[in-house]
Amino acid sequence: MLSFAALGLALPTRQLTALAPIDIVVLVLYFVLVLFIGFYVKGATKTSEEFFLAGREMTAWIAGLSFVSANLGSLELMGWAGAAYQYGILATHWYWIGAIPAMLFLGIVMMPFYYISKTHSVPGYLQLRFGEGARGLSAASFAFMTILMSGVNMYAMAVVMQTVLGWNITFSIWVGAVTVAIYVMLGGLRSAIINEVLQFVLIWAGAALIPILGLIEAGGWTNLKAQIAVNVQSNTYTHLWSTLGTFKGNPMGIHWTGIVFGLGMIISFGYWTTDFLVVQRVLSANNLRSAKMAPIIGAAFKMAVPLIVIVPGLLALAVLKNPDGSIMHLVPAEVAKTTGQHTYDQVLPLMLIRYCGPGLLGLGITALVAGFMSGMAGNVSAFSTVWTYDLYGAYVNKKASDSHYVFMGRMSTVVGMLLAIATAYLVANAASIMDYVQALFSFFIAPLFGTVISGMLWKRATSAGGFLGLLAGTVSSIGMWVYTTFGTAEHKAAALARIALSPDAQPMAENMYRALWSWLICVGVTVIVSYMTKPKSDAELNGLVYGATVIPDDGAVTVWQKPIFWAILVSVVFFILNIVFW
Amino acid sequence: MAEGTGRGERLSIWFFVGLLPLLYGLVLFPYGVWEAMGHEAPTVLNQLHPTMWWGLLLLLFGAFYVIRFRPGKG
Repeated sequence: MLSFAALGLALPTRQLTALAPIDIVVLVLYFVLVLFIGFYVKGATKTSEEFFLAGREMTAWIAGLSFVSANLGSLELMGWAGAAYQYGILATHWYWIGAIPAMLFLGIVMMPFYYISKTHSVPGYLQLRFGEGARGLSAASFAFMTILMSGVNMYAMAVVMQTVLGWNITFSIWVGAVTVAIYVMLGGLRSAIINEVLQFVLIWAGAALIPILGLIEAGGWTNLKAQIAVNVQSNTYTHLWSTLGTFKGNPMGIHWTGIVFGLGMIISFGYWTTDFLVVQRVLSANNLRSAKMAPIIGAAFKMAVPLIVIVPGLLALAVLKNPDGSIMHLVPAEVAKTTGQHTYDQVLPLMLIRYCGPGLLGLGITALVAGFMSGMAGNVSAFSTVWTYDLYGAYVNKKASDSHYVFMGRMSTVVGMLLAIATAYLVANAASIMDYVQALFSFFIAPLFGTVISGMLWKRATSAGGFLGLLAGTVSSIGMWVYTTFGTAEHKAAALARIALSPDAQPMAENMYRALWSWLICVGVTVIVSYMTKPKSDAELNGLVYGATVIPDDGAVTVWQKPIFWAILVSVVFFILNIVFW
Repeated sequence: MAEGTGRGERLSIWFFVGLLPLLYGLVLFPYGVWEAMGHEAPTVLNQLHPTMWWGLLLLLFGAFYVIRFRPGKG
């Protein structure tokens, strides 16, 4: 999910480390392999179904790992490790309640409709359910935002490479972008998925040593908690829920209602069930049962990710020391500019350097580069699909041949990448654009979830209701953001207190509550307008909506084959983990 | 059919998943052994020889997948 708000992208005053020849070997091996894969799968990427949906032949494991990996970018890792240092274990909520329920809901409830409708994209589903208006609005906003986000990520990663290794920004941007453009243009979604599965393995190979060695150094989890409590003079950094009774009681300044309803029920459902970047991976599944199982497998792995993201951030609070032996204090980027200290987002590279010498350092850096490249590949493959099917194919050239659409997919991959590079340079010259881009992305997520879920679960929702609900939710989200972002400091504080329901709320809480309100507005408008307009018949809604669709059997015979069994098992582990770290 | 790489292809996606760790194991394990013979980098807990053991783990993981999903098998 969106995460680099915490990443301070100040240009560095000094690089953290340098690569040895063995590190370069490790990095080069990765580049050679991903380019080889692109050329290797090109032969199996001839039709549009093969290029945009990987031939719909991925098993549950491949689709599931790709689904969770598409979200596991390097900025995500570094941003949340920094957030764990800044806010403590509360950052874990973005991996557990902010992901697991939504992923299971996607697999069990929503996937049957995405899958049996044979849609090629989320905007494509909206077209089937609500018509062209909702499709056009969601496709245009998704395509636009995907390119912008890709460019912002590209620039952010180049800055990280400059900070950590002293690499030139232009070098990082072009090497990463050209490699990704080549293998996605050649192999389409199939290339992107293979790379994501590889990246998932690489991230664990490159990052898992940090928590292992860190916990050995700290003397185990119990000792780590005790050391953190001493170093930060508070024991609130290692509790997930017990500090959320008040806004003031925890480092994030957030209330449990914001976490449960804003993050857990709206933002995460919006992202994991309607963001085409992740949903596209599941649409590539080879049958209905695989499509249902893929998000459940993804959820099981997602629960383990805090080990390599959150734990290093917490460990840094206990073990990171200055050369003179005193505790090292990391600071926000704005402070680091004047003091020369390290920033929050440098936690992961700092911990990597602490434990990893030549070879292992190269592996860690390769994992970050792989995460960056697969994130770009995910963005650009989702962009080319939505552009080709939902914009070009819907409004520009409706009756082209299949090979023409594949050609358009390859071309839009290259053009999308060039636009992302242009965005990266734009951000390089005006870094504040980055904050706006992140906010822009958040405008669409919650209302889009409102529209998709109303359409999927409520037969009475009409085309006009769906379109106007989406429009109203998006406009209201933008309105609330403008209300809390611009004006005098007093005005902004008062606006934040109104939107987030408390004068003690921190900016992080604003995002949660804005999502909640915009979702409610979207659903409210959809309901009101739907009752004022004529609904479609059940026959027209067959395959699209609960109550009007006979869901085909997924072929599971034994209990071990049933997705619901695994979903319940993942839920039980999810509850146990939350109680253990309460 | 090779899983994940398309109809008619010989190399499965799992073969690639094994190949990269195998190559890394082949690079890191010997280097880690050399480090363990008195050339350790000045990192925290280097007395545990993390490069050698991690390299060995990657080597075994990679070798298992490469052998299990080698071209032509099944």
